Amino acid sequence: MPSRVSTLSTLNSSVNLLQRLQADIDLTGRQIASGRRILTPADDPISAARSIEIREALSRTQQFDRNATIAVGRLQQEESALSLAGDVVQRIRELTVQASNATQGNEARRLIAVEVRSQLEQLVKIANSRDGNGSYMFAGTRDDVQPVSQAGSVFTYNGDDGQRQIQVGEGRTVADRDPGSDVFFRVRRGNGDFQALPVAGNTGGGIVGNGSLVDPTVYDRDTYLITFTAADTYEVRDSSAALVTTATFQPGDTIAFRGIEFTVEGQPDIGDSFTAAPSQYQDMFSMISDLADAIDTAVNSDLTRVEMSNGINRGLENLDQALGNLLSVRTQAGARLAVVDDQQNANSANAITFQETLARIEDLDYAEALSRLSAQTGVLEAAQRSFVRVQGLSLFNFL
Amino acid sequence: MSGMIGISLTGLSAFQAALDTTSNNIANANTPGYSRQTANLVTRVGAGAGSVFIGAGTAVGSISRSYDSLLAGQLQTANTNVGRLETLDSLTGRVNLLLADPDTGLNTALQDFFGAVQDLSNDPTSLPTRQALIGQAEGLANRFQNADAQLSRLGSEVNERLQQTISDINNLATSIADVNNQIATSGVDALPNDLFDQRDRLISELSRLVAVQTLEQDDGSTNVFIGSGQGLVVGATAQTLAARGSEFDPTEVRISYAAEGNVTPLNDALNGGQIGGLLEFRDRILNPARESLGQTATAFAEAFNAQHRNGMDVRGTLGRDFFAIDAPPALYSGNNTGSPTATAVVTDLGALTGGDYVLQFDGASYNLRDAATGASLPFTGTGTAADPFVFGGVSVTVGGAPAAGDRILIRTGNGLAGTVRNIVTDPQSIAIAGATTSSSSFANLGDAVISAARTVDSSDPNFLTTSTIEFLTPSTYSVNGAGSFAYTEGDPIVINGSEVSITGIPNPGDIFTISSNVGATGDNANGLLMGDVQSVDILDGGIISINENYGRLVSDIGSTTNQVVAGLEAGRAVQRNAELNVESVSGVNLDEEAARLVQYQQAYQASARVINVAASLFDTVLGIVR
Repeated sequence: MPSRVSTLSTLNSSVNLLQRLQADIDLTGRQIASGRRILTPADDPISAARSIEIREALSRTQQFDRNATIAVGRLQQEESALSLAGDVVQRIRELTVQASNATQGNEARRLIAVEVRSQLEQLVKIANSRDGNGSYMFAGTRDDVQPVSQAGSVFTYNGDDGQRQIQVGEGRTVADRDPGSDVFFRVRRGNGDFQALPVAGNTGGGIVGNGSLVDPTVYDRDTYLITFTAADTYEVRDSSAALVTTATFQPGDTIAFRGIEFTVEGQPDIGDSFTAAPSQYQDMFSMISDLADAIDTAVNSDLTRVEMSNGINRGLENLDQALGNLLSVRTQAGARLAVVDDQQNANSANAITFQETLARIEDLDYAEALSRLSAQTGVLEAAQRSFVRVQGLSLFNFL
Repeated sequence: MSGMIGISLTGLSAFQAALDTTSNNIANANTPGYSRQTANLVTRVGAGAGSVFIGAGTAVGSISRSYDSLLAGQLQTANTNVGRLETLDSLTGRVNLLLADPDTGLNTALQDFFGAVQDLSNDPTSLPTRQALIGQAEGLANRFQNADAQLSRLGSEVNERLQQTISDINNLATSIADVNNQIATSGVDALPNDLFDQRDRLISELSRLVAVQTLEQDDGSTNVFIGSGQGLVVGATAQTLAARGSEFDPTEVRISYAAEGNVTPLNDALNGGQIGGLLEFRDRILNPARESLGQTATAFAEAFNAQHRNGMDVRGTLGRDFFAIDAPPALYSGNNTGSPTATAVVTDLGALTGGDYVLQFDGASYNLRDAATGASLPFTGTGTAADPFVFGGVSVTVGGAPAAGDRILIRTGNGLAGTVRNIVTDPQSIAIAGATTSSSSFANLGDAVISAARTVDSSDPNFLTTSTIEFLTPSTYSVNGAGSFAYTEGDPIVINGSEVSITGIPNPGDIFTISSNVGATGDNANGLLMGDVQSVDILDGGIISINENYGRLVSDIGSTTNQVVAGLEAGRAVQRNAELNVESVSGVNLDEEAARLVQYQQAYQASARVINVAASLFDTVLGIVR
């Protein structure tokens, strides 16, 4: 400091000091009023950039949470629809078992068939159900098109195989539904691996029972023809008519070759034949429709009874596949729900972390700010007092 | 006795002058730029009286001002620095607020926009959600335009303030030359203290506007130099500064020095004061900010458009561009003698810098320079449409008839943010659905499943044509009935611009189909990818996302502002100190003047008393005679 000071500069210095102190108090006041430590990026550039990144991450996380809520709603809706569909198929299975009882007369089975058909209508309605927005739930991504249409006993799928993914986390999406094609139309016939059927025109009493895949490594998914060459002998030929095996037969015997086997009850006539072909996809609606027709068969001879029994057996096999498919889709939907649930937990944990970080970066420490304010006002007051005292001093007062 | 009276009379008049000076000091105690004056008393040389030499009283030798040119020079330097920093502070602070303000900042608009994209992905059939996305798109485009417009307005303000400052400098130069002239003609003997003060005050004012060097001349006048030694005031003559348009942009004010008919560009040499602050703000803060904003806008619009083109709208047409943004403009030098032309398009977002580039024709070929630094830069290509110049993420085709020395400026970012427009206005035209879809035949016997189709090239001529993949054996397949390709589970299969993968064991005869996704109103495959544009690292060679690029701009401006504020604090402290130093020499202290008042009053009274004594001596002599 220079030894000599001019009266003007003393005054100016004091005024400058007062102004600076007031600016400090103003800043603290604005911080307290807004609750924010950083009022502009210049206050803390690094934190400001960081806060932009965190805000983006936070807003994305919150968006994911909203998305997840939507996904949960849709998956729950699907689950309840699938559960309803399962109940319907289960009911049809019970009716079928009831119908297969030998004591049921034609009239009783006709009534059962009527109920099966009405349950089928119910199932079609479930497949064609809409969500709250009026979109079809089981049409894949063509959700403004009614997915299942019926012409007689032919059921057609009008949707697609598309699945809509919902983003529920960074890099994590889940399908919010399953297309009707996977739920209702891609049901494997028979036991899921192959289906054994009597060939139309059989005259004997051969009824095909349950089949099973014994050795998948041997089974080559060819279509086989089993022909009875004598009452107690059959031969098996593959699709190129090459002889696979011949064997003897008693009613109730298991016919086994190339890794698969199935039972035949009753006595087939000579020349009767059966096929064993890989299971194809069929929609569960036509399966049930065929089953209803089988139940509705008017039994008036041994031959019609055999036809009915074969039909009901195939129907029961198919129903088990349909139930299995519904259950598997439902399980997948449930698994996705669990994934979304997990992700929602992770999202809220992340959101809390982000908010805490943001608060640490941006928010004001009120205790610190308030004590700073009181210190600053104290200093200002002292400066004002000293200003008045110093400016009052003048030699002229004594002249 | 007559000696006594004579001597005390000299005292009376000298002390009167000293009292006058003190009064003047007191009267000017609050006058800015006033230098304290002192009456310097000298003894009058007496005459010899026999063997002794009797003094002849006192006289005012001179009235000098207390002034230290070294300290004044320090204050000028401090003023120049503070002038520059104050200008920078006020302008940078506004950019800082503009970027940080949630109502004008981009980040909130970007978040809202991408939130709307996600909302629509959740519910692609909802018309209100589609409309909401259009609304957010408009909002975002406006936000880009507004941000750029506000920066552009700051640019215009800089131009106006430069012109105003140039005119202020010219006026001050004229005034200084005027005062110089008065000083030189007043004669050196009687020091024209008030003229000196006036001139120093003018120079001090000038030093707030521009950095100056001063040189005092023998005749009392001061020469003032600016820039790299250009004389602004030499003696009684003032030169002028002139504003002119820049080489590529006539509206951008640059400064030149006009002396004796020669006009010299001065731009880079003026580095202090308000002028320096304005130029520095434009070059270091405003233009880089607009460039970065343009880079962000271009990256956003181009990346989002590219993704949108890969999707399909409700009507089954492929997505069009969602946003429009101008291509980087080419500006031609006002000094060109030929007529070169250039067209630039953005071709590589990862390499896009947003900077300004200058193509200069040397008579045979073009070379490339960084417009900001002038550094020579490498590039590839020959400038033809087939083989364009490629640099900084753009491809440039040149034509016309260039002459040697002709220059073209390519702006790859500056101002482009202002040209972002939302051009999809029909909600049903938003291409949220994937363009193609995959399906498997109900007749398939195998367990193989096909993935959803992903667009890799929506410009493939057969993009939407249905294609089939048919398995010939469990390990080979044909495409559209032709060829036999090896099947590897999970490997990508690209057909007509769509990519799928197949997993599981297929049966011979199993058929998978890729077809146009027409009618898939509930599909959101493209919407999900559009949502990813926000966070995908596309800039700076693929390491920075759009949002991060904006964050970088905010942080850059923030830290510059921070530095300027800190610099200004320091500069003001230096300035206050320099002022104190100057004041300590030149300032008036009223207590000191009060003391002087008492001192000279007492001396005056003493001198008057001497006359009284002389009179009484005279009376004594008269009494003897009587």
